[in-house]
Amino acid sequence: MRLDETSRSAGLDLAAGETRADELRALLCQVARGDSDAFEAVCRHIAGPVFGTVRAVVRDLPQSEEVVQEVLVEVWRCASRFDADRGSAMAWVTTIAHRRAVDRVRSERRSAERELRAASHAIAYDDVAETAEANLDAERVRRCLRSLTSLQREAVTLAYYRGYTYRQVAALLGVAAGTVSTRMRDGLIRLRDCLGVEP
Amino acid sequence: MRIRRPEPHTLAGAYAMDALEGNDESRFERHLERCRQCAEEIRGLREATSRLAVAAATDPPAGLIGRAVIAAAQTRQLAPLTSHTRPVWARRTKLALTAAVAGIAVVAALAVAAQSVHDQLQQDQRQSRAIASVLTARDAAMMRAPVSTGGTATVVMSGREHALVFVAKGLPPLPPTRCYELWLMRPGGDKPAGMLPGPRHGMTGPVLASGLRTGDRLGLTIEPAGGSPRPTTATILQLAL
Repeated sequence: MRLDETSRSAGLDLAAGETRADELRALLCQVARGDSDAFEAVCRHIAGPVFGTVRAVVRDLPQSEEVVQEVLVEVWRCASRFDADRGSAMAWVTTIAHRRAVDRVRSERRSAERELRAASHAIAYDDVAETAEANLDAERVRRCLRSLTSLQREAVTLAYYRGYTYRQVAALLGVAAGTVSTRMRDGLIRLRDCLGVEP
Repeated sequence: MRIRRPEPHTLAGAYAMDALEGNDESRFERHLERCRQCAEEIRGLREATSRLAVAAATDPPAGLIGRAVIAAAQTRQLAPLTSHTRPVWARRTKLALTAAVAGIAVVAALAVAAQSVHDQLQQDQRQSRAIASVLTARDAAMMRAPVSTGGTATVVMSGREHALVFVAKGLPPLPPTRCYELWLMRPGGDKPAGMLPGPRHGMTGPVLASGLRTGDRLGLTIEPAGGSPRPTTATILQLAL
């Protein structure tokens, strides 16, 4: 099954997005049965979001590449465990990817307290603008992120694109942990509703 | 000053973004097991975070995908699960063991549930008891394997009972002219071990196959309706018992 590379980076309307979701789910089913051609197609489909996310969190390029490799192999290894009833294939993949990226930086961060103080002056939700190529998904997310309060946006960006724990974000911002977790939750809920995500 | 712990639900956003670690994380995961509302919410929030990931999509360096394909060729895949155990994301260290135990419990529960519908017939009551003996035998061993035409089979076998219980999930429905048939495959000739009943809520069986001998292999084929004395098509499942 060949995927149109150009349609991925050009604008995609909602219907095409749903078709791609179906394609990915079907491909993943084939991967679960050991189909390595299907796996290569899955890689082409997911490598962009996986690399972009990992790179945002891990920053260092060689390490990012390593983590992306780990994620892709994990997708191969665990393809049979993807349960379509529990969420979309892309959500399954990006969850694995984000988790791995965060695990990679956390152990380093624990011994690099100074980074936290330095980072506190460089918070911007333009992380999405920095790392993403122009694509409709980025536009939609940027628009929806704007519907969050600046505090919610800040909390979501620090957690998702920087990989900080909620306690670290609280320390960074000098607010109570409970306040941060509430902002994260409210912000994500608002983002979810704005994007019109089907649960 | 004692720091009051936030209510578990309020941590759902942080959890969905992997922003909990250590005790915070394990405490929330235990909460998730009991709180369906939070589990539902996490599902939806993860779809949202997935869009954040897609929005950040960047073309990876050349050769990265090629290397992943090579690495995958050298990596064993996990076998599918038939029961609804925890998702991969739950990160429990004893996942495999817990899943195996849960799997046997699910097969046992299935046997009871499926049989309760047929409980009126004495013959089925006997079968129900025979199934229970296999599932609860001290040497009960469980195996799972994909069926090549679709679906997953789970088998619980007991050498002492010389019998096995077969259950399958997600078997594609067959036209009325065909049926799934089980076989005990042995050097002297394949012995019919029963035809599979129609699926109920996506689950097929349980079917009891008795008269197991050492060295038998379990086979599954698609036969004309009514079954065949010998397999007439290639096996879509073969399990060494």
